[in-house]
Amino acid sequence: MKFKAFLTDNGVSLLEKRFLPALDKMGRICHLYLTREHTIFLHNLLNGDGIQSIAQFRKEALFDDYRISSQNDDRIAFAIDLSLLHRALRSVITICAEFSGSHAGSGGASATNRLQIKLVKKLPPHSQQPMPFLTFETKGYKSAVIQDVPISKPLSRSDVLELQAALDMAQDLPRTLVQVPDMNQLQNFVDRMKHVGDLINVSITKYGDLHLQISTTLITLGAEFRILSVIGEQAEVPVGDRDLSAQSRTQRAIQRGDAMTVQVNVKHFAKSLQCHLAKPDCAFYGIGPQGACLTVIFQFFIPGTRQADKSISLHCRLPILDPGSN
Amino acid sequence: MSSSGVEPQAADLVCQDNVQGMVDALTSVRWKRHQDAVVELSEHGIVLIVEETRCLQAKVYLQRELFIRYEYSAQGRPRFGVCLGLFVDCLNTFSVPGHSSTIEIQYPGPDMQLLLKCGTHLFWPLTLLAPKLFSNDDFLSPQAESQGLLIRKNACIYAEIRTRIPERVSWDYNFEPAGSTPLSFTVRCLDLLSSCTDKMYAYLVVPKPKKLDVAVANVISAFLPRPMAYELQFKDAKKVVNNGEFTIFEVSTIDPSNIKVFNPQSAAFKEAIDDLEWPGSSIQITLQPVPPSVTFRGNGHGDSQIDFMYYVNTDLLVAFHCDHQVSYRYKYKFLRTMTSNIPASVIKDNRGSKLTIVRVGMLKVQHLLSVARTSISHSHIDSAGYQQPSRIAYIEFFVKPEGDEATGND
Repeated sequence: MKFKAFLTDNGVSLLEKRFLPALDKMGRICHLYLTREHTIFLHNLLNGDGIQSIAQFRKEALFDDYRISSQNDDRIAFAIDLSLLHRALRSVITICAEFSGSHAGSGGASATNRLQIKLVKKLPPHSQQPMPFLTFETKGYKSAVIQDVPISKPLSRSDVLELQAALDMAQDLPRTLVQVPDMNQLQNFVDRMKHVGDLINVSITKYGDLHLQISTTLITLGAEFRILSVIGEQAEVPVGDRDLSAQSRTQRAIQRGDAMTVQVNVKHFAKSLQCHLAKPDCAFYGIGPQGACLTVIFQFFIPGTRQADKSISLHCRLPILDPGSN
Repeated sequence: MSSSGVEPQAADLVCQDNVQGMVDALTSVRWKRHQDAVVELSEHGIVLIVEETRCLQAKVYLQRELFIRYEYSAQGRPRFGVCLGLFVDCLNTFSVPGHSSTIEIQYPGPDMQLLLKCGTHLFWPLTLLAPKLFSNDDFLSPQAESQGLLIRKNACIYAEIRTRIPERVSWDYNFEPAGSTPLSFTVRCLDLLSSCTDKMYAYLVVPKPKKLDVAVANVISAFLPRPMAYELQFKDAKKVVNNGEFTIFEVSTIDPSNIKVFNPQSAAFKEAIDDLEWPGSSIQITLQPVPPSVTFRGNGHGDSQIDFMYYVNTDLLVAFHCDHQVSYRYKYKFLRTMTSNIPASVIKDNRGSKLTIVRVGMLKVQHLLSVARTSISHSHIDSAGYQQPSRIAYIEFFVKPEGDEATGND
C-alpha cells in the first residue's frame, strides 16, 4: 500500500483556504478515500445518521506526480482528523512562503521546493506499535518541516468496498433543483430560525420556490423564497396561486405533484449552508427521488469563466426525519 | 393563513414596525430562556409585562407612535400570554440584515395566534433568478433594476405564535409615593466615562486582591448598564491596608487619561461577572438628603461600597430628589437583571435611567430606550423619508426589597 504525491499550489489553496474549513464544519473526522483518479473526502457515509458530505477532486486538481498502489485495485481509504490536517497544512505553507519569499525572482525555486504528501508507518514515541501517518514534507530556505498527521488504520478491503458502494448510492440526483442565490443571507436567516425549533420542513416546487418552515406546538415560523432559477423538471406557476399564502401555495403544489416536502434536522440544514466556506459559485437544493434525502449541490466554475469545473465537486445529503406527504 | 393578503375577519390590531427596535426593547426584559409574558393591547399602544417570583416585574411600553401603522379596533383591552423567548427569537429572525425589516403584526389570527409577517425584498442579483416569471409589478424601483438588483417581494417570512389566556392578573402596584414626594435620582449612564474623575470613590474590603474587580464590578454592574463597568478596570487601585486576610482598597479613578477608553475586549470583565456567584448576595441602596448622595453597598465574600455624591457627580446623577434618608436591600441578581439585558447597541444612545424608591422600599427603574433605526432599511420604500417624531420605548422594572429591609433607617 503506497501513496505519494506532490500538492500543487492550486491544490494547497483549494484545501487550505476553502475546502478544509468548510469540511471541518461538517464534522472533524472524515474518511479520505484515494483512488487512481480521485481524492475524496467523505463524511458519515458508513455510519448512517449524520449529514453526508462528499467532496471529490480529480487528482490533477490537487496533485501532480501522483502515485498510488494497493492490493485493493489501487484504492486506499482511512479516517483522518480534519483539524489536524488543516493545521499541518498551514504550518508547511508558512515554511513554503518563507522559502519562496527569500528566493523571489530566482526562477526555478518552486521546482525544488515542493510539498510532498505521503502515507507512512512510523513508530511514535512511547509506543511499540508502528502507526500510520499522512506526512507532509517541505523544505524551506533555512529549514525543512515534516508534519505527521495521525490517521486510522487503512480500511479493510471489505470496508473500502462498502465505502465505494455507499458513494455510488449517494450519486442520485434530485429531479428538481432550485438555486439559492445568496448562501450567506440564507445562513444568517437559518441561524436565527434554529432557536425556535429543532426540525425544519423544506419544500421545493417546480416553480422555483423554496419554502422553509419550523413548526412546533407553540409557533410556526416560515420563509418562502420565490422565483429562484430551476434546474431539471420545472413547471409554470398556476395562475391563481400567486396571491395565496406561502403555506397554502406549497400545499397546493404538493397536491398537484409539483412539489416535495421533507423534514430535516435544522442543525443539519444550517451545517449544509456552512459549505459556502468552500466558496462555491452556485448552490442548488433538491429533494432526492421518493423524498430519500435533501440534497445540496455546489458548483465551482473554472476561474474567470461561468463554466462548471468538472474536476471539483461537492455535495451534501441531509437525512430525512419524516418523509412528509409526497 | 398568516401571509395571505385577504383577512376574513377584522383583527383587533394590525401594526407595522421596525423589527430591530422591538427586538432591542423586548430583549431588555428577557432574563431567562423560558419566560412567560403578558401582552396588553390598547389604543395607546402595546404593553408587555414579565414577572419573576412576584419580586421582580418588568414592563415594556411600545406606544402607538412607535409604529409606522397602528390600527386598533378592539373593544376593551385584549390581553394574552405569550412565551417571551420564543417571541424575541422569532422577531429576531425577521431582522436579518440585508433586507427591509418592516414587520406586520396582527392579533388575533383565526386561532387566536399572534401573526407576524414580512414581505421582504431580498436584493438578489437579477441574473440568478428565473426571468420567465417576472411580471410588471415585480419591479418597484427602476433604479435598483438598473443596478441589476431585483426588488420584488420575492421572499416572505411569516410566523404564527400561539397565545394563551393569561393565568392570573399580574401584580399591579399603585406606586403612589406614600405621602411625600418620591425619592428618586436619574442616572445618565453614558456620561459616566467623562465623570470618572476624582469625584467618585469606592471603598472595598475584599478577601483576596484577585477579587477586587469582582467586588466593585459587582456593585457597579448591578446598578448601571455595562459601559460603566467596563471603564472601572481598577487600573489605579491603591492598596491601603494589608490587614491579614483582608485587604482594603480605596479605588478612585483619579486620572481619566488612565482609563483606557472602553475596553471592548472585556472578556475578563465578563468572566468576573460570570463567576460572581455570591449566593444570595444583596446590594443595599441608601439615599440621603444631607449631603445628597446615593450609596451602594454590597456584601459577599467581601464588602464593597460606592458613594455617589450628587454635587460632585452631576454629570452622572442628572437629577436627585430626596427629603429623608432611606435604605433598602435588594437582591443582586434582580438589580443585575434590570440592566444587564439591554442590548449594547442601544446603550450607546441611552437617554438615562430614573430610579425611584417608592412605598415600602419598592425600587422602580425606568429606562428610556431609543429604538430608532434608520441604517438598516436603506432605500426601502416604506421608510424612505419617514421620520418618526419620537422613537422611544419605555421600560420599567419594579423590584421588591429583601424581607428584612429597613437596615439603618435612622
